[in-house]
Amino acid sequence: MRTRLFVTAAAVFGLFMAAAPVRAHHAFAAEFDQNRPLKLKGTVTKWEVVNPHSWIHIDVKGEDGSVVQWMIEGGSPNNLYRLGFTKESLPPGTEIVVEGYQAKDKSNRAVGKNITFSDGRRLFLGLSSAESDPDKK
Amino acid sequence: MSYRRIASAATLAAAGIFLLVASRPAAGQALAPAVKTDAKAYTAPRTPDGQPDLQGVWTNSTVTPLERPKGLGAKEFYTEAELKEIQKRERERYDLDEKEGLPPANHSGVEGAGPDEVHYDFAQFGLDKSQAKIAWNMRTSIITGPEGVIPPRTPEARQRNAARAAAAKGHEFDGPENRPLGARCLARNNVGPPMLQAGYNSNLQIVQGSGYVTIEAEMIHDTRVIPLDGRPHLAKSVHQWYGDSRGHWEGNTLVVDTTNFSDLNPFPGAQNLHVTERLTRVADDTILYQFTVEDPGMWTKPWSGELPITKISGQLYEYACNEANYGLENTLRGARVAEAEAAQKAAK
Repeated sequence: MRTRLFVTAAAVFGLFMAAAPVRAHHAFAAEFDQNRPLKLKGTVTKWEVVNPHSWIHIDVKGEDGSVVQWMIEGGSPNNLYRLGFTKESLPPGTEIVVEGYQAKDKSNRAVGKNITFSDGRRLFLGLSSAESDPDKK
Repeated sequence: MSYRRIASAATLAAAGIFLLVASRPAAGQALAPAVKTDAKAYTAPRTPDGQPDLQGVWTNSTVTPLERPKGLGAKEFYTEAELKEIQKRERERYDLDEKEGLPPANHSGVEGAGPDEVHYDFAQFGLDKSQAKIAWNMRTSIITGPEGVIPPRTPEARQRNAARAAAAKGHEFDGPENRPLGARCLARNNVGPPMLQAGYNSNLQIVQGSGYVTIEAEMIHDTRVIPLDGRPHLAKSVHQWYGDSRGHWEGNTLVVDTTNFSDLNPFPGAQNLHVTERLTRVADDTILYQFTVEDPGMWTKPWSGELPITKISGQLYEYACNEANYGLENTLRGARVAEAEAAQKAAK
């Protein structure tokens, strides 16, 4: 059933989904390792609001108390600016939890698939979708 | 793609097919259905030197695919009801996922990607389409005509591109030169011409001066400078990623003729690309954008498309792509590590 449904859906997928495939700026699979998923809890030390990708720097405290620095790759900042975010929206000292994948060179860099505050609220979520509403132009 | 999404897409598809059967193409629909305005009744404002004024910040972000989805046949336009359904769905996509506790729709932003796509979440960074203004229209595909797809490539073009791909194979990560132009922050095919959406930050700023029209694309920073003085194209030996554009006005329409492309962008392998674009302001907030692409050495026939471009509030932001392109460095370093590991394994 599921297979058949999938075939049907796939045939008409284009009806409802976005136009030209949304291509990543670069091949993430070449940069990050799908076999090295990670979950980090850390404290923001710096947010580089730069293109083509923003980078969040965090300090992660290990069980032995040692602090390790990580860099987390995130999306292009231009749309966040449009939606009202600024460099001050993620100040140093903010505690976040990052789920992502480590860089293939095994350095302390990762792509931050999901980023949440330590209390469970998701980072950057809950933004207005009004702009896409044709009746609210 | 989540199971729920598949299921709801299938349900909607069923509804769509019903509507397709039940509806009859309305007379006159083929005239200006990409935009819902009476183009004839509208007079565009003028610049101080008398050109129709196209200036401002615009978006060509759309949910209309370049090529018509299979199964729609020669159906060029959705009915009002079908479009409403698509709009409703696009509007609710984000909220629905939130409500059901699912990750936001297609959340990596990579079409067809599974939940484990090695990628950051588009919704979290405002890049999801449901968070952007969209240039709506009733077309089933940007490409016009009964086929609605890019025509087949010529046998020579297929051979040429296959040879190029074969030569590149195994060397994709040798050095920065081997990475695609986009990954190197050099050029992106959304700048075109034809100017197609960039996926995100799909914004354009048009500025006109005496004798020139300039179009800046936010992604990834390029400005097309289009002279209007009738000067000839560059010498045939000069090839550029975005070609060489010349413009002139035909009434209220800016017609831009572009040649002298390199064969690397926007359609790799197209060696004699010729693009004609027509930009007509049909309302204060809408430009109708039409284009024809031809290269007899690449495709078996020319192809054309159209879509509305919609005004947005605010400004274009800088997209200094090269500023912090850690991604290129990380990718190459990753490849070196993988090579070292493979060599070590082979030595054992």
